[in-house]
Amino acid sequence: MGKAEHPIFSFYNKNPDLYDEIYTKGGDIKEVYQKLFDIYGGHSIKEFADLNKKARASFFNQGITFQVYGEKESHEKIFPFDLFPRIIDANEWDIIERGSIQRSKALNLFLWDVYHEKKIIKQGIVPLDLISSSNNYLHQMMDLDPPGGIYNHISGTDVIKHTDGKFYVLEDNIRCPSGVSYVICNRTALKRALFGVFNHYQTHTVTNYAENLLDLLETVKPKGVDNPVCVVITPGMFNSAFYEHSYLAKTMGVELVEGKDLFVENDFVYMKTIRGPLKVDVIYRRVDDLFIDPLEFKPNSSLGVPGLFAAYKKGNVTLANAPGTGVADDKAVYTYMPQIIKYYLDEEPILSNVHTYHCSRPDELKYVLEHVHELVVKPVDEAGGYGISIGNRLTKNEIEKVKKQIKENPRKYVAQPIMSLSVHPTYIDESESFEQRHIDLRTFTVLGKDKEFVLKGGLTRVALEKGNLVVNSSQGGGSKDTWVLKK
Amino acid sequence: MLARVANNLFWMGRYIERSEHIARYLNVNYFSSLDAPNKLSQSRQFVLQSMLYMVGDQTEDLSVELNEEDVLYKIGLDIDTSYSIINNIKHARENANSARDLISTELYESINKFYHFGLNYPVGSFVKNGLYDFTVNITEITAVLRGKIRGTLLHNEVYALIMMGMNIERATQITRIINAKYNDALKAQGSYGDKFSKSFEWTTLLKCTESYDMMRRLYKKTPTSISTLEFLILNPNCPRSVMNCLNQVYAHILILDTSKHYNKNSTAFLVGKTRSEYRYKHIEEIEDNIQSFIENILNSLGQISQKMEMEYFNH
Repeated sequence: MGKAEHPIFSFYNKNPDLYDEIYTKGGDIKEVYQKLFDIYGGHSIKEFADLNKKARASFFNQGITFQVYGEKESHEKIFPFDLFPRIIDANEWDIIERGSIQRSKALNLFLWDVYHEKKIIKQGIVPLDLISSSNNYLHQMMDLDPPGGIYNHISGTDVIKHTDGKFYVLEDNIRCPSGVSYVICNRTALKRALFGVFNHYQTHTVTNYAENLLDLLETVKPKGVDNPVCVVITPGMFNSAFYEHSYLAKTMGVELVEGKDLFVENDFVYMKTIRGPLKVDVIYRRVDDLFIDPLEFKPNSSLGVPGLFAAYKKGNVTLANAPGTGVADDKAVYTYMPQIIKYYLDEEPILSNVHTYHCSRPDELKYVLEHVHELVVKPVDEAGGYGISIGNRLTKNEIEKVKKQIKENPRKYVAQPIMSLSVHPTYIDESESFEQRHIDLRTFTVLGKDKEFVLKGGLTRVALEKGNLVVNSSQGGGSKDTWVLKK
Repeated sequence: MLARVANNLFWMGRYIERSEHIARYLNVNYFSSLDAPNKLSQSRQFVLQSMLYMVGDQTEDLSVELNEEDVLYKIGLDIDTSYSIINNIKHARENANSARDLISTELYESINKFYHFGLNYPVGSFVKNGLYDFTVNITEITAVLRGKIRGTLLHNEVYALIMMGMNIERATQITRIINAKYNDALKAQGSYGDKFSKSFEWTTLLKCTESYDMMRRLYKKTPTSISTLEFLILNPNCPRSVMNCLNQVYAHILILDTSKHYNKNSTAFLVGKTRSEYRYKHIEEIEDNIQSFIENILNSLGQISQKMEMEYFNH
């Protein structure tokens, strides 16, 4: 029989040094994956390749794509999708969910503090330098009370499983975390291709995100408003996450606006409709801080709304997330998360932090410079996986280059031991077979006034290149449907 | 609804409709010329000139020999010509993109497929032997799109705006096609009797507007200038006629404008007025001076479009 007729798992190579999510330490299939493994194993390579092709075409025709920006032009690409789902059982999920909420709450309290009394700094728990040297600290937010007391309404927490089988948080994203629409698309695509598999598992739904998001937005409406008009603001259809913006607006049933659709009069915000102006109360904004209002921030921004910040300051409109949250998802603040959680909540962190070396501290800088080859070096304020160097993949020359960069601006860099992300069987086109690929998980936490919700699923991202540890979509990452099982 | 998005929906309708008419014009003219009864109608140069005339490209010097592949490419797949079919498809999708939260997933998916069909069509085979396949596909996909618009959208303002765009564009394109074929009929006179009124070009005109079978059914005679024009301009039951389009535009402006007494500056008032004007016209009035009729109707359609812009899109 030719290769194409073999069962799909016949050529799965297992590297014993990696933590494979579907195997036990002893080398058996984990109980929870057994049924799935049997069902998938019943497909031949050829059948599976066909299913995979169809799933991709479905994404393409639905226009579920994103833009990748090159130096000259941008391309429309499908977010690569893998048909083998990741399963998280109820007990594991409980840890992740509680851990995500804990972090979001602690970060919210931290943000209130650094924009008001700064107790945590005065008491010497985090250094002043952490705030004062951050590009994302907005002095405009000083002493301002966001409606409902919420700063980070929506948080994306990136979690990995290390070879020790424990979950670690790699970063918190509390500016405009994206990816939630793909969680839902992945579920839809998997249902279309292999609906039978759902008969054997009790999986939580992921389609309730939009309703929870809209509920949240309504809990943080400005004072004196009964039925708030909510909108989603997008930088426009050329933004890489435009699909997601339109998806969220559509599923919440609210308008998707651009900056030019809004205007401010007497410190109230209005949108321009076919019947004239309509007052807007809550804005879920997917435009970065510095672009939301040219009068207050970048004067040449055409994405924002002149006067929006003044209206916000008066309490006439809610912005979610609040401006200035970036100061708390900085990779340098990350390293203080255990202390931050302890300080505000008096709890031990439920999810672990990866140990981090600050290049701003002379002794740690020295250690980092001596050990670049075995560390991951990251700039503290870049998103999307840009600027990361992974020590064991660098040549000698590259190591020297990284060292030079760090020495030029130590505050800009932190370093961490190379964490080995767990691996998951992923279908690879070139080899027509499942192979081990590194994965992480982004959870989505929604925090409102007396409301908290974590989407039971999240986005499992896959680094498609063999051995690669960077899972971001802008770096060629894909994703998987993620099943959280009911108890 | 946002004024900007309303504008985009209106233009999405226009671009979908426009791409269909251009595609059909290319198809019908090219293939009916192959066995046309007189020499001029059969001449390739005559057909290519007619195509360029229809899309409004009169920059070409008529004495210069046109190259078939160049002209087909220019009108079909050239992204550097503003009127090309591929650009119309691109604009339709771009407009749909920005209103993606308002239209159905089913409609968006079909528009997206439409776009990928156009974008991936091999240029080489299009200009050599793909004209039929490409244009037939375009007209079929646009029919699917119309079905999705009618069948998957709420019949509210979103729907009304798209339908207004489609019908204003349809009336415009039908008028342009009448103009182009009228021009051809003047050049290629028929072979017996009244050479102009019995020109072969009237049949082609009806086919270009997908109205030939309906017309034969109604008149049971070979199309003449007067019966063709009457059918395509004034017959309210012909779904492609200018009159039918005006009735449609009127029906849909009523969804947008629900006031009982019209303000004389409103779009609804202007549409109603224009519609009444054509409702009580008879063909002899038009036939006397087709040229000025064409100018008038294009002018009226332009005014309706401008009025909409001012009343609904320009806040």
